[in-house]
Amino acid sequence: MSAVRLKGLTLRYGGVDVAAVDNLSLEIGDGELLALLGPSGCGKTTTLRLVAGFLDPEAGEIWVGDRCLSAPGNVVPPERRRMAMIFQSYALWPHLTVAQNVGYGLRFKRDLARADREKRIAEMLRVVQLAGYEARYPGELSGGQQQRVAVARALVVEPEILLLDEPLSNLDANLREEMRFEIRRLHEAFGITTLYVTHDQAEAMVISDRIAVLQAGRVAQVGTPDALFERPRTRFVAEFIGKTNVVDGVAAAPDVVEHGGVRLTVAGARFTPGAGVALSVRPHQIDLVEPPGAPAPNVFAATVRRSSFLGDSLDYEVTITGSDLVLRVVGPATRRLAPGQVVGLRIDPSACVPLDGA
Amino acid sequence: MDRALVVWVGAALALVFLMAMPLAWLTVMSVSSEAGTTLGHYRYVFTDPALAKSLWNTVVLAFWVGLVSIAIGAPLAWLTARTDVPGQGLIRGLVLASFVTPPFLGAFAWEMLAGPNAGLLNKVWRGVTGSDHPLVNIYTMPGLIFVVAIYTFPYVYIMIANTLALIASDLEDAASILGAGRLTVARTITLPMVLPAIVSGFILSVLQALALFGSPAILALPAGFHTITTQVWSFFHFPPKIEAAAAISMPLLGATAVLLWLQKRLLGRRGYAAVGGKGGTRRRIALGAWRVPALLACLAVMACAIFLPYGILAKAAFSRAWAQPVGWDNLTLANFTFTFFEYGATRAAIVNTLELGVITASVGAVLVAVLAYVTNRRLVVGHQIVAFLAFAPVVIPGIVLAVALFIAYTRPPFVLYGTLAILFIAYLTKEMPVGYGQSDATFRGIPPDLEDAGRILGAGRLRVLRDITAPLAKSGIIAAWCFIFIGVIRELSASIILFTPNTKVMSVVIFDLKEEGQFGAIAVLGLVMLALTFVTVAIVQRALGRDVLGARE
Repeated sequence: MSAVRLKGLTLRYGGVDVAAVDNLSLEIGDGELLALLGPSGCGKTTTLRLVAGFLDPEAGEIWVGDRCLSAPGNVVPPERRRMAMIFQSYALWPHLTVAQNVGYGLRFKRDLARADREKRIAEMLRVVQLAGYEARYPGELSGGQQQRVAVARALVVEPEILLLDEPLSNLDANLREEMRFEIRRLHEAFGITTLYVTHDQAEAMVISDRIAVLQAGRVAQVGTPDALFERPRTRFVAEFIGKTNVVDGVAAAPDVVEHGGVRLTVAGARFTPGAGVALSVRPHQIDLVEPPGAPAPNVFAATVRRSSFLGDSLDYEVTITGSDLVLRVVGPATRRLAPGQVVGLRIDPSACVPLDGA
Repeated sequence: MDRALVVWVGAALALVFLMAMPLAWLTVMSVSSEAGTTLGHYRYVFTDPALAKSLWNTVVLAFWVGLVSIAIGAPLAWLTARTDVPGQGLIRGLVLASFVTPPFLGAFAWEMLAGPNAGLLNKVWRGVTGSDHPLVNIYTMPGLIFVVAIYTFPYVYIMIANTLALIASDLEDAASILGAGRLTVARTITLPMVLPAIVSGFILSVLQALALFGSPAILALPAGFHTITTQVWSFFHFPPKIEAAAAISMPLLGATAVLLWLQKRLLGRRGYAAVGGKGGTRRRIALGAWRVPALLACLAVMACAIFLPYGILAKAAFSRAWAQPVGWDNLTLANFTFTFFEYGATRAAIVNTLELGVITASVGAVLVAVLAYVTNRRLVVGHQIVAFLAFAPVVIPGIVLAVALFIAYTRPPFVLYGTLAILFIAYLTKEMPVGYGQSDATFRGIPPDLEDAGRILGAGRLRVLRDITAPLAKSGIIAAWCFIFIGVIRELSASIILFTPNTKVMSVVIFDLKEEGQFGAIAVLGLVMLALTFVTVAIVQRALGRDVLGARE
């Protein structure tokens, strides 16, 4: 089995006090595609390089199934980890042809006959739609083709674990979108346990089974794309995944948060009255309604301050009447509101997600 | 950890043998006398009128060489980098030829061209005008400055041409669109951006002129004046005054260190000159009617540096008497027979030179490759210090290094004087910075990802080195080999101090032959040296797939 377990990994660079990876623990299920997501400097690439064996951790263990790859004093070198990696730069060898690049990893599979080797290279090149390019050199290929050579080189060895380090960041927007689906398709076809590093939340959401959001060398939250989007646990995760409104307030009742006169009822909450609470409210979960005649729970009058037309929707910035609370709201393109116009907002109690660390 | 230890011990030992011990001896010798420690040698060097004059002559020579080099190199660089002057490839090729021509060969050639009595140009002048006086006398300070500068200006050219090539026309356009006229743009944008390169080229030229031994020895001595380098050399004549040689070496060493520090600081702070090579295109200025005159001006410079000197060397090599007109009765191959088969010293010297060239280049190329790999991949703690040490010998002028090695290795525990080994050490030390610079650039150009990609697919560290790193670094290492080889076969200023009758090299023999007036043999040896150099340069260009001039920083 190829489930990966990281236990308490820690690494500091060059005697710095701040750890690049700080007591990080994570499990990746057999055949799962897990994205390591975070801003630059969060330790996601360091984590990947620790898993690959290019870096030695100061503390912690790395297990694949029942095989220990790294523990203090016992570190398996990269070449014996049965992994493959796709690099951000692709790292194609410029002095080798496409076929030689793809076939390189097979040289180390001793039990593979020469004929079988060539068959597998040809088959792999067909899968990535590069049949006929065997004799080309990487310098003679377009960016997208180089990318596919890198993919083929990694998959042809049938690795237990596949590591990807921001493999799409060098492609232009259209190709990037196309390759997202391509990578997902290949993952479904081969079912290899995969660790995917990216700083692009949209990419992570399209590609992965689960996402681990990293912050300052630690895991902030792990979950399916849905769970992370719907129930972010911290302000950092809420703001990093999708757009959101964070409302800082004080618990007025076990299920009510108040911010400058605005009282929001939160579904299923049990706050200690008087405690500080932060809520995440996604802009698309706020309904635009008629201005309320009489006060009602979670319905407010508000004034449009700014509106931006985005084609299929409108993005509004509104101020709730009688408070300083500014919210982002998404409205349908069919009904356009102008700045200065007064509208009603209805926020479903289940759309208010309490965040840790208010 | 043990891996790091090997490198450390190796680097430390190399440093001690190549630099620390010789320089320590040099310093000790400069303050020692039979009566104990003394500053008497320094007092002698700075107060003796003849010696003070030689120090001053060196300053004058170096300063003017710097200025003349700018006057030649800057316009040439601008013309080839920024205008549509015809024959750009030819001009660049000739600048390269001037760059690799051993300056002392140029000096010999100009002795034959512009010596006051027998010099070809002067004979032609007298023949045409009937005048009794020579047109030019090369045995003068201006003559010396001229001959040094025509082989030194490529340093300025390289600095400026490479900088101009990086300045996108955008930067100039940005100023134009804001209302600056053509001259204002040149004054406020282009010139300030090129200024660090100009000053840097000036400093490099000055450094060359300071350290040069051959040309002053050939042209200044007959003219009756000394420079520091010729003075150092004369201290080795009987009765030797090694202490004085050590003392007079110190200002040269100090000046070199200060100038290099200045240059580094200048380039470091004004590094923006190299910024912005991306995206912008570089437009060429149309010279219009000035295209042909500009080309002729370039060719006139090249006539002085290449055509005339090479021509007279070829003429001398194939003539019975070099000063007589070309003709069938004056044509001979006797000079070749004499040089290769009859005169014992030349054959031994050619063998010695080739042996030293190949051994130094091979050992050196491997050494700098290992050092550059270790420093680039940060394989050991303190890799920055290793890099610094590899560059350090650049501050030691050849003749100073030779004096230091002479002192260090003529006494126990290491008596190397009189062997080829001492020349090997001198050459290896002297060429290390050039070789290291080349290797460093090579490994910098191989991203570590390429090696990691091999590792993760199942190749061990050594296998990756063999399959991936070595093939990618090959051409760069060949280039380093060639640079070291070229440096060795033309070396004179250290060899002239360290040779003994059994360990003469080509440059030293050329110098000896001059005393005997054997101009034909000098010309033959000179042509052999040039042929070796140009073949090696061709190999580099092929290996790197580009022009050597662009490679220098």
